Amino acid sequence: MQYSTKLNMKKKIFIIASFLICFYSNAQDDLLSDLDSTQVVDKSVTATFKALQIITLQSTKLAAKKEFYMVISHRFGSVKGGISEFFGFDDATTKIGGIYGVTDWLSVSASHHTLLKMNEASAKFRLVRQSETFPFDIVGYSTIDFNSGLKEEDYPKIEFSDRLSYIHQILISRKFSDRLSLELVPSFIHKNLYNPEIENDNQFTLGAGGRLKLTKRLSLNLEYGQNFNKPDFYNNPLSVGLDIETGGHVFQLLFTNSQSMTESGYLTSAAGDWGKGDFFFGFNLYRVF
Amino acid sequence: MKKLIVLLLLFVGTVNVSAQKYMTKTGSLKFEASVDSFEEIAAENKNTSAILESATGEIAVLTLVKGFRFKIALMEEHFNENYIESDKFPKATFKGKVEDFDVAKLSSASGMFKISGDLTLHGKTKKVTTNAKISKSGDKITITGNFEAKPEDFDIEIPKLVSKKVADKVKITFNLLLTK
Repeated sequence: MQYSTKLNMKKKIFIIASFLICFYSNAQDDLLSDLDSTQVVDKSVTATFKALQIITLQSTKLAAKKEFYMVISHRFGSVKGGISEFFGFDDATTKIGGIYGVTDWLSVSASHHTLLKMNEASAKFRLVRQSETFPFDIVGYSTIDFNSGLKEEDYPKIEFSDRLSYIHQILISRKFSDRLSLELVPSFIHKNLYNPEIENDNQFTLGAGGRLKLTKRLSLNLEYGQNFNKPDFYNNPLSVGLDIETGGHVFQLLFTNSQSMTESGYLTSAAGDWGKGDFFFGFNLYRVF
Repeated sequence: MKKLIVLLLLFVGTVNVSAQKYMTKTGSLKFEASVDSFEEIAAENKNTSAILESATGEIAVLTLVKGFRFKIALMEEHFNENYIESDKFPKATFKGKVEDFDVAKLSSASGMFKISGDLTLHGKTKKVTTNAKISKSGDKITITGNFEAKPEDFDIEIPKLVSKKVADKVKITFNLLLTK
């Protein structure tokens, strides 16, 4: 007791208070808050687009590692033909192809197109991903088109290289919100064989597209491509579409003034004219394996 | 002097209590919502954190829902984007208590314990109760078990088109190896 009397009141209170704090903090000890520091949230932005394409242009979405997509797309004939052509049904063109994710940032694809018997091979590679520290997804997309529809009877001097076209694109997208994602697509197109009366061998286009989610599983998509080296013969491609996610799969329904589904054909040879009611209905179907 | 000793003892006691936490950062949490004859819907998160207060039996579990890995990447994306909405609700947590827990009686042969508490998922909290096997060898405590949860209880919407392919009750399996 002698010892305790030596302590003055202030010190006593201080000691008791510090013990109380000790008890208090123990009683309030929330085990969950102890765990907070153990987990690091992944801040990279995902699901910018639902599908690999916005409409016909590529989106910044890639197939995941070892994922295989089969793609079947149709572009029907122009709706201008009216009921006699069943609004384009009678002139359907088809694309069938596959996309394989070599790794999460690189996928390769190949496809065959019934329109002009075109074949296409592409590589898509992600350079940067949108995150808290970087505002955009940036993806490269390079394509070779091989035209197997050119016949030697018509072009006796044709060489293998004449059948090729090259397209290089940079896809830059930003997911502004859960609902709104926008993309810019500068493209360079080189055609080894071209008709100088109606087109150029080298063409540069700037495309823009985006999606607005109407509901969780439905989005409205729009895309346009401005061609800077295009004589008047063709139009600039303008397309509008809907992404419909059925829980697992994504269907894309669309209207476009450019019937071709190859990158070069779509960007440089849009024959339809929205103003004249001359456009095409189509859809893209993807199946993941 | 007596008072001071009592206080000191209590203080020592509190230090002891806080030193008896068992913890893991690499616990496994699996869930399965498959329906027979349809595509497998299952995922595992191997980076689940858990902490057990051995003096009281209180337990807490935390996992980041983005860390669930599916076999199909597209399924994982849809899970995050439209089902669990991981950008809005990044965490799933459980906070509860192992009933009649006495760390001294644990042995390497696992015993059954009842665990009850609050499961928070997709921004909704619900009480869950389950039985778990708990064993202890050396400084390691293993807790394993499973329970079922209904997506609708947590406001997780399943679209009509796929409602037949997603189980009404999701089976959640946990495997936690906690160390001091």
